[in-house]
Amino acid sequence: MTMQKFPSNVNSVKSRFTNRFLQALKKMNKNKPASPSIRETYRRYHFIRVASYASMASVIRPRRAWSYATLWKIRNRALMKRSSRARSLTRNPRKDIGFEQVSDLRKLVPGGEEMKICRLLNETIHYIKCLEAQVEIMRNIVDHCST
Amino acid sequence: MNINSLLNQEQSLQEIHSHQNGQPQMSSHFDPTSSHDDFLEQMLSSIPSSTSAFTWDVSSVAGRAENQTPPSSLLSQFDDQSALLVSKLRQHQISSGAAKALMLQQQLMLSRGLAGNGLRSPTGASGGESGLLQMPLSLNNGDHADVVDGSFQSANPANDASMQGLFNGFTGSLGQTANQSQHFHHPQAQNFGAAASPAMNQPAVSGSTGGGTPAQPRQRVRARRGQATDPHSIAERLRRERIAERMKALQELVPNANKTDKASMLDEIIDYVKFLQLQVKVLSMSRLGGAAAVAPLVADMSSEGRSSNGTQTASSSNNNDNMTVTEHQVAKLMEEDMGSAMQYLQGKGLCLMPISLATAISTATCHSRNPIATSNNLHTSNNPLISGEAGGPSSPSMSVLTVQSAAFGGNGAGEASVKDATSVSKS
Repeated sequence: MTMQKFPSNVNSVKSRFTNRFLQALKKMNKNKPASPSIRETYRRYHFIRVASYASMASVIRPRRAWSYATLWKIRNRALMKRSSRARSLTRNPRKDIGFEQVSDLRKLVPGGEEMKICRLLNETIHYIKCLEAQVEIMRNIVDHCST
Repeated sequence: MNINSLLNQEQSLQEIHSHQNGQPQMSSHFDPTSSHDDFLEQMLSSIPSSTSAFTWDVSSVAGRAENQTPPSSLLSQFDDQSALLVSKLRQHQISSGAAKALMLQQQLMLSRGLAGNGLRSPTGASGGESGLLQMPLSLNNGDHADVVDGSFQSANPANDASMQGLFNGFTGSLGQTANQSQHFHHPQAQNFGAAASPAMNQPAVSGSTGGGTPAQPRQRVRARRGQATDPHSIAERLRRERIAERMKALQELVPNANKTDKASMLDEIIDYVKFLQLQVKVLSMSRLGGAAAVAPLVADMSSEGRSSNGTQTASSSNNNDNMTVTEHQVAKLMEEDMGSAMQYLQGKGLCLMPISLATAISTATCHSRNPIATSNNLHTSNNPLISGEAGGPSSPSMSVLTVQSAAFGGNGAGEASVKDATSVSKS
C-alpha cells in the first residue's frame, strides 16, 4: 500500500489551489452588495470557507477519500441537510482498536466514518498536509489584502 | 498426474531454497530438538523397504553435515500406494532437494490420510504454511498453480487432518521463507488457509521430542518461538505494524510530537486537525475586507502560493493612503451602523477599542514584538473589541484615530480605531 505523500508536487498543489480559490473569491465579489447586512456577511464567511475547502478538494481530485467526501458533501448539501440527521445516526461506527479518540478523528476527517484505522491514518496524513498548505495560502492572501 | 505436478512444484521450491541464504539457515530457526530433517527421515524411515538407502538419500537431499539417524519409533502404515510415492520420492531425491521430497511426502500423507502420527512439526504457523504453498505458485508465474490448487483443494474437504500434517511438515522447512519472501500472497493465503485453518486452529501443544506420541486424530502444533500460530494473529501483527508506521509519520507532521503514548499522540493529532480547521474558518472570516484587493491579486496569482509567511515589509506610502481611505470608509459606515463598521474593520484585520486601551497596548508593544500575533488565529472575529490580526511586526509608534461621533453621545469616551501594526503610523 503506497503512502501517497506529495513531496514533489506540493508547489503545484499550492499554486493550483490558489488559482481556484482566488477565482472563487472573484466570482463572489462580482455580486457584492453595497452595504452588507450581518446575515449576508456571515453567509459570505461561510461561502469563503466552503470555497476554500472545495478548491483544495478539487485540486486533489477525488483521488483521496477525504477529498472525495468533501466534494460529495458540498455537492449534496441540500440533500444532506434534510436527510443527514437521521442517516448519520444509523450508520454503524467501525470498531476501533481500543481508543475512543479514533472515533473523534473519524468525525474530523471528512469521509472517515467507515474506514479502517489504517486507511484513516493514511487519509489523516494527507489531509493534514493539505490543510496546512491551505491555511498558509489563505494567510498569505489575507496578509496581502490587509496592507 | 497430480504427483508430477507436485514434483514440479518441488523443483520450484528447491530453487527457492537455493536462493535463500544457504540451507543451514533453515534449521537455525527451529527448535533444537526438531528439524525437517528428522521429519523427512521419520517419514522415509518408516518405509519397510530399504531404510538404509533412504537415510543415504535423505542425507544427500538435505546436504547437511549432520545426519541424524531416524528414530525408529514410527508407524508403518504405508501401503502400496505410499510405497509407490516413496519410490518416486527416492528417485527425485537424488536429483533434487528436500523440497521435492517434502512435496512428495505431502502427497503421501494426502493420499494416506495420515494424521501425522508420530510426526513432530517444528513450526505451526499455519498461515505461513498456506502462504508457503502459494509462494511457489507465485514464483513460478502460476504455471502449476491450477494443478496444485486442484490437487490440494480436492484433498481439503476430504482430509483436513492430513492437511494439517502437510502444513506442519511443510512449514518445518520453509517456515522462514514465509516471513521473508516478498511474494507472500496474503489474500490467497487467507482463502486457502480458510479451508484448512478451522481444522488447524488447535491448541499449540508441542509434540514430544521422542517420536512415540500416541495416535491421535488431530495434529498437535508447536508454536515457534515468538511467533503466532494462526493466520489471524499474523495478519493482526502486520496490521499493527502498518498502524505504527502511520503513527510515526503522523508524529513528524504534527507539532508537539509526544512519542511516548499512542493515545496522547492521537489526542495531539485530533487537536491539530481541529486547530487547522479553525484557522481556515478564521481566515475565511477575515477575508471580506480585502475583497477589493482580490482582483489585482488574481492577475498576480503565480507568486501567491510561494510567498512566505511573515516576511512582511509594508511600504509606508501605500499604507498611508490605505489608512486615509479606511478611515473615511469607517467614518461613513459608523454613521449608518456600528456593526457594519466593525465588520469592515474586522475584514481589514483591524479593531475598534477605547483610546485608553489603545494607549496601553501601544506602550506594551513598544517592548514586545507581537503580543497579538501569536494568538491571532485563535481569536474568533466575534469579539469586536479585542480581535485583530497582526500580520507583521508592530512598530513602536502607532497612530490612533479618534472618532467622536455625535451618535455616541451617551458614551463619554471617544472610541478609537487602532490601526494594526502593518500599517505604518502617521504622526
